[in-house]
Amino acid sequence: MEAAKPDIDNNTVKPQKLRRSGVIEVNLDFCMTCRECEVSCSLFHEDECNPDLSRIRIAYDDFKPDTTSITVCKQCDWPACYFACASLWDDPAVCVDEKTGARFIDPDKCRGCGACLKACPLTPENSVIGQKRIDGKRIYFKCDLCYNRSEGPVCVDVCPGGALRFILAEERKK
Amino acid sequence: MSKAYGWTGEILRVDLTRGEISTVDTMEYVPDFIGGIGIASRIAWEELSPGVDAFDPENMLFVMVGPLTGTMASGGGRVEVMGIAPQQYPSVFSRSGMGGHWGPELKYAGYDGVIVQGKSEKPVYIWINNKQVEIMDADKIWGRGTYGTTKTLRAIHGSRTRVISCGQAGERLSRIAVIQTETGNAAGQGGFGAVMGSKNLKAIAVRGTLGVKIARSKEFFDLCINASREGARPSEGRRRVRPPNQSFNRIDERGSTFRRRKCGFCMSQCAYRVRENMQSSDGLTAPSVAQQCWGYMGNSPTVDPVARAITSDYGLNGWEITYGIIPWLQICKQHGLIDKIDGMDIPVPDEPIKYLKDTAPYSSEFIHMLINKIAFREDELGDALADGGCYAADRLFDGEGIKHLDRIYPRRCGQTEHWAGHWGPGGAVYWPWWLPPVLQWCIDTRDPANDSTHQWTEHVQPYMPVSGPHRGPYSMEKVRAVCEKVYGHPEICNPEYEYDPPELKAIPAIWHSHRGMVVNSMILCDREHSRVFSSETEDGMADTALMSRLFSTCTGYDLTEDDVNLAGERIWNQLRAIDIRNFGRNRVVDESTLSGFMYPGKDDGVILDREKFLKILDKYYELSGWNVKNGYPERKKLEELGLSDIADELEKCP
Repeated sequence: MEAAKPDIDNNTVKPQKLRRSGVIEVNLDFCMTCRECEVSCSLFHEDECNPDLSRIRIAYDDFKPDTTSITVCKQCDWPACYFACASLWDDPAVCVDEKTGARFIDPDKCRGCGACLKACPLTPENSVIGQKRIDGKRIYFKCDLCYNRSEGPVCVDVCPGGALRFILAEERKK
Repeated sequence: MSKAYGWTGEILRVDLTRGEISTVDTMEYVPDFIGGIGIASRIAWEELSPGVDAFDPENMLFVMVGPLTGTMASGGGRVEVMGIAPQQYPSVFSRSGMGGHWGPELKYAGYDGVIVQGKSEKPVYIWINNKQVEIMDADKIWGRGTYGTTKTLRAIHGSRTRVISCGQAGERLSRIAVIQTETGNAAGQGGFGAVMGSKNLKAIAVRGTLGVKIARSKEFFDLCINASREGARPSEGRRRVRPPNQSFNRIDERGSTFRRRKCGFCMSQCAYRVRENMQSSDGLTAPSVAQQCWGYMGNSPTVDPVARAITSDYGLNGWEITYGIIPWLQICKQHGLIDKIDGMDIPVPDEPIKYLKDTAPYSSEFIHMLINKIAFREDELGDALADGGCYAADRLFDGEGIKHLDRIYPRRCGQTEHWAGHWGPGGAVYWPWWLPPVLQWCIDTRDPANDSTHQWTEHVQPYMPVSGPHRGPYSMEKVRAVCEKVYGHPEICNPEYEYDPPELKAIPAIWHSHRGMVVNSMILCDREHSRVFSSETEDGMADTALMSRLFSTCTGYDLTEDDVNLAGERIWNQLRAIDIRNFGRNRVVDESTLSGFMYPGKDDGVILDREKFLKILDKYYELSGWNVKNGYPERKKLEELGLSDIADELEKCP
């Protein structure tokens, strides 16, 4: 299925029916805060082990109970990041994967404008869109559900506690 | 400095006397010494002169990580601490490890380790932030517990700062002071918290975002994700995802919540249980680790877990207090040497204490009183006990308590027996399978069940065809085939052989010690590496080459399994050489360790036959390429390992 492109008519963006995405479901009770998901994510996507380049983030305070949080893209039905990018650029960098429905950023097309980050409803406290620099150029990145990996998202695969679960688009609840 | 994969390429060196900060090029030491304790012991060999004692400013404190720290490889959260260890009796150059999240953070901050030397005039802490290093004034945190220290430093440097620190015990040079992380993990044995205290170093805080570059990232990723995640015991099998379990996030009868936590960056089947709303001495809410190993749970289920939090907050070695000091006090009471402490009865069982399991439970009040006494060196008793059971016995009860130490301590190490079939902490080890651990105790500078012994007792023993009342899952034939491949001898796990032939016990003792050195240099976790057997493969053999493949794909230096084994042997010999040159180690010292094992084994009642055991010791030296008379590594062996400089110096030793 081809990625839907929004109509720009009289300065209003009309939401179009996008393919629904799968999502990574989180169960905080089972998170053991090992952060293996972070480091495997960055290795898979960035060829280095660096939690700061991860698409999933674990945070917790050692001194307060129940402070564990897992931040990962919710793969919205109406992805503000996608529309923000598409409304600015002819050849938008935020794309929708045909198979999984994952909303992801094509690094080759990203202009580094940051519109996606500004649009994200989880910004700024729980931003799921990160940024890095390649040869001085700013690039944004976000969870792509490892759409090009046949076994599904890496973080789900490595989690020793079973805190993460991959839900297919078809099985996703409203 | 060339571009480094795996390693960051630099080790930080901080001289507190001069206030100087410099770096050591990691790449000068690799791949021969791998990282972690390999590099630390090399530098110690080069720089630590004989005559230096634990609390001298010249003592060096190494806090090391390795090429696999902070990577995706399971067990990559660990740190190894080295230096002259005050808890050992007498002090020798030794090591202690800890998990948690501090190690990876140091790696991300750009360093393969921190070497602290000298002594600061006033209390300081070291702040490391992405290769920026500062020695900072510790006025605000000196005198505080480890939890308070961590909270204060996080308030100053940001909530994602990772901190290791010594508590009040370390400041008072308690020989059983630990280096504590914020998460409850600690470098426990050795008393390295007191080494920090002796240098006026309160804490090392780190924050890093630099990441670890991987040479062949795709291959490394595949290796990590496909590596076995089976549990230690055969019955546990492979469990990819833990089933929902009661012990997650449960609220207990005391109103505290449980949570399971893991060390950083590890997907193994291991987690520790945390009670979340404990009060520390500063009145702070603190996580309290109650892993089954210790936490005043072992033989005293009634005790308040707050004791565990207080112990960590003061930076004390709870293992030593629970399994060494309290049992020793109970035994002393049974012999009429002491009755009450501050008017409080020392609880004792009716029967004479033979093993740890015989000791009497104690109340919260008792343990709180004792911990406070020890941490602050209150009166003569607290002052003596703050140095651990072995040193305390010299000062208390006119020396009458010394003879009661042998049940508990292989005294030379200053640490309680563990996983060697006698006193008690650790699980059951049945005759004759505790012979290799006893052998490792004789040779090592510390309790070897931190890197070497666990592999044998927890991974190999469950697969033994016969182990006490237990029967392993595999036929003798299958086990023989695995032993032949791994150890080069088919009868290693054959229960028909006891003392004779001696190599059957010497070979695994050596093999696992060498592997332990590799584990602590990479740095990985001994709960994961090296397995010998597996319940997932057809022939029953584990992937023993896993560490070398992880190393090669991570760093880009291609080492075979044999190369890695050789590196382990090199590091083991180097540690031995330091012990010989600096501390007069020899065969007599090795044999003296046996005094802590000359009573019936706790699981089988078997008494060690000293004469027969010494034949195994002979074999150990012979197979190691060491001189059978004095236990020194021979020149031939050292040259084989590329350590001819060590051979030259050892020849000068008496």
